[in-house]
Amino acid sequence: MAFRKIDIDALEEDALGQDELDFQEIGEPRPPHEVEDEVNSRSQEVRFLLQRGNAAGALSSALNNPPYGRHLEAAKARNTQTVMEVLNSIKVADVAQLVKNLTFEEQDVLMKYLYAGMAAPEQNNSGVLLAWHEKVIDTNPNSRASLDLSGRLSEIAGPGCIIRVITDRRTV
Amino acid sequence: MSNTLRPYLNAVRQTLKAAMCLENFSSQVAERHNKPEVETGTSKEVLLNPVIISRNDKERVLIETSVNSLRVSIAIKQADEIERILAHKFTRFLTQRAESFVILRRKPIEGYDISFLITNSHAEQMYKHKLVDFIIQFMEEVDKEISEMKLSLNARARIVSESYLSQFN
Repeated sequence: MAFRKIDIDALEEDALGQDELDFQEIGEPRPPHEVEDEVNSRSQEVRFLLQRGNAAGALSSALNNPPYGRHLEAAKARNTQTVMEVLNSIKVADVAQLVKNLTFEEQDVLMKYLYAGMAAPEQNNSGVLLAWHEKVIDTNPNSRASLDLSGRLSEIAGPGCIIRVITDRRTV
Repeated sequence: MSNTLRPYLNAVRQTLKAAMCLENFSSQVAERHNKPEVETGTSKEVLLNPVIISRNDKERVLIETSVNSLRVSIAIKQADEIERILAHKFTRFLTQRAESFVILRRKPIEGYDISFLITNSHAEQMYKHKLVDFIIQFMEEVDKEISEMKLSLNARARIVSESYLSQFN
């Protein structure tokens, strides 16, 4: 938009909007209050697990089924905060083992939350997040190829999970 | 190198390595145009999620990717007034000579001190890993450069004030 101040293409009837792009990947948006209830109950559950010292359980339940889509800013912020609480309360020495025990989907979601956390350095400790980031890359070695259950060759690569964060429209 | 700098630069390097998957892509809006999509932002479907990597609330890197271009913006550490002036002068010096730096953007993104714009043709002409190395090296050097300039500025100020005040005794 160099010299034109109005984006006339957006006014066209078949212009591709953000909602349509989201719909392709996320599907029908869920009602915000439902998502918020879910996020709040998860945050309590995670805190309960953390108090009992079950770090692995807390981590995987915090990363389970994150809120996706637009118009869910409050729920997203709340969930990010929950994940950050878990990340901050885990000792550095345990990180590698915990990350290794996560499923690939959970590792991808974790990576999304690491970037989401680093985007707000005033609220979160970037040092901790950078340490986690390094560990997630390390446990995803560069050329790990494995056959999953359907017999399909799935490549799980270190940079791969960053690429999935950058390209996935299901942002956290 | 201090212990928080290394993971920070590592994270930036890994992210850049992952993000630098650029291909030739003509504009979908204007025929026979070929523009960096991250700059024009006219088609949403070719823009990817921007990511921010931060070391603390002063130092951070914004990486915005699209199908044919990549924009890296760096916020340089500025602890005090002198460092702010030095960083401003330094980045201004570089951006005025942006042609010789090829990938340097003439104007930084709002909120950052210096920006690089890498298009698919840059990635074709130059080695991708060298481009990543260049940005990482730049980030390393710029902190060192500014703290060095600050030291020499302070030393010079001390000498000047000494020789100025010596005429009064």
